Amino acid sequence: MSSVLEITGLEAGYGPLRVLHGINLSVGEGERVGILGLNGHGKTTMLRSIVNLVDWRSGEITLNGDSIMGASTHELARRGVVLMPQGDALFPGLTVKDNLDSGAYPGNSWKFRKERRDYVCEIFPRLGERLSQVVGTLSGGERRMCSIGRGLMSEARLYLVDEPSLGLGPGIAKGICDTLFTLDLQGGALLIAEQNRALIDGRIDRALRMHGGELMPDTGEDGGH
Amino acid sequence: MTGTIVTTLNLTAIYALVALGISLTWAGLGFLNLSTGAMYAGAGYGAWLVSTNITSNVVVVLLGGIITGALLGGIVCLTVFLPLDGRSNWEVRTLTATLALSFIGANVYQWKFGPQFQQFPPLFDWLPSFRLGEALVQPNVTGTVIATTVVVTIVLAYIGASRIGLGVRALTQSIEGAALVGINRRATAFAILGVSGAFIGLAAVLLGQINFVEPNAGYGALVKGLIVALLGGLGSLRGAVIAAFMVALCEAITLQYFGGAWVLITLFLLISVVLIIRPRGIAGVLESTRA
Repeated sequence: MSSVLEITGLEAGYGPLRVLHGINLSVGEGERVGILGLNGHGKTTMLRSIVNLVDWRSGEITLNGDSIMGASTHELARRGVVLMPQGDALFPGLTVKDNLDSGAYPGNSWKFRKERRDYVCEIFPRLGERLSQVVGTLSGGERRMCSIGRGLMSEARLYLVDEPSLGLGPGIAKGICDTLFTLDLQGGALLIAEQNRALIDGRIDRALRMHGGELMPDTGEDGGH
Repeated sequence: MTGTIVTTLNLTAIYALVALGISLTWAGLGFLNLSTGAMYAGAGYGAWLVSTNITSNVVVVLLGGIITGALLGGIVCLTVFLPLDGRSNWEVRTLTATLALSFIGANVYQWKFGPQFQQFPPLFDWLPSFRLGEALVQPNVTGTVIATTVVVTIVLAYIGASRIGLGVRALTQSIEGAALVGINRRATAFAILGVSGAFIGLAAVLLGQINFVEPNAGYGALVKGLIVALLGGLGSLRGAVIAAFMVALCEAITLQYFGGAWVLITLFLLISVVLIIRPRGIAGVLESTRA
């Protein structure tokens, strides 16, 4: 199994603050990897450093064997790295349809945006009912659906999902995770950061634990609740 | 009364164009373009050169102003946005740089064209004059309203329906979100400043029908454009159009009943009152959304 994502000796942080300490990780084709850990231990920083959204980083990150350390965030999106971030990073003044279509902005995806939008609306029928609604007026759960739906609008090589359950009721969170874990990765990979172990246990290929900015094997005892 | 309405419509069209240019740049790129006045005067000269050297055909002259404005927007992108994007103290640096560009522009025009006032040939005299109540609507007013409506409608429809337009609209909402979906902010900046410049260029040609083109012609447009953009809520295109109407109406009524010397006073009173009641202007971005 060849690696989709390979991280070696990654250190990253904000200003003088070092958050990540020598992260090593390899994610293979078709693999679903969970990163467990409590808030504030570096899960989000790790995902953001992969897409170059931190102040500084060092080490090496490769995507399908090519280094992406010099690539900007928008270039990575065009190369198939999709981050579904905490806080969603949606466009609150635009409609659900526009937000979904923006996910098809890179490369050839734009031509197939209608088909992809129909596919997303099949997965999240509630979005289909609200296509013309401004995203800023949606509930938290609907926004999360829209954020994930936007991420599904293009052919991705690597899905990075940051705390899909954060701030949501258990039912909605479970529904969203069900969707993510039934995605056909088609040779890509999924890396999901989550503090709620119950949501991802048994549905991922392997789990790792992030603690104090270091990544370690998950013992099943800590790092989530 | 109808005379006031006619003046209001004429000024609304022109002010809306300048304010749309300022507001679009603010919303999409996050800086206040103080070189708007230099772009305005430069586009005026561009159109004037077309009208005196090539043809006085209305479409060609309007295109001359629009294209010159768009090119000047590209220059602002190359000399201000791209070098300063991502640098610390971005807000102050862009203000300073665009202000410098404004002074440089005025001096270049002075050096190249001299201090004398230039006048456009009448562009819309093929349109009929007609009466609206007691007021006689001149061809240049009709032409201004039609040209503005057509251009703004086409551009906003394009921004609303195209891929690049979605990129522009996304950038006005979230820089990080735009990067995450693959929108190249630096490349899209050319589109944003080009469209802004095109709006400002059209305004220069239209206002050139009643004012002269001269090196410092843009300062008045900059002040009015800023007033309208602030009143509308910086970044809100819809707010800019509504504010343009309010400012134009205020100016027309003041001109009619108090005289030209009172115009800036009543305008600043208007903006003060509105901003006290609604600090984010008439239609600040995201007013209908959740926090």
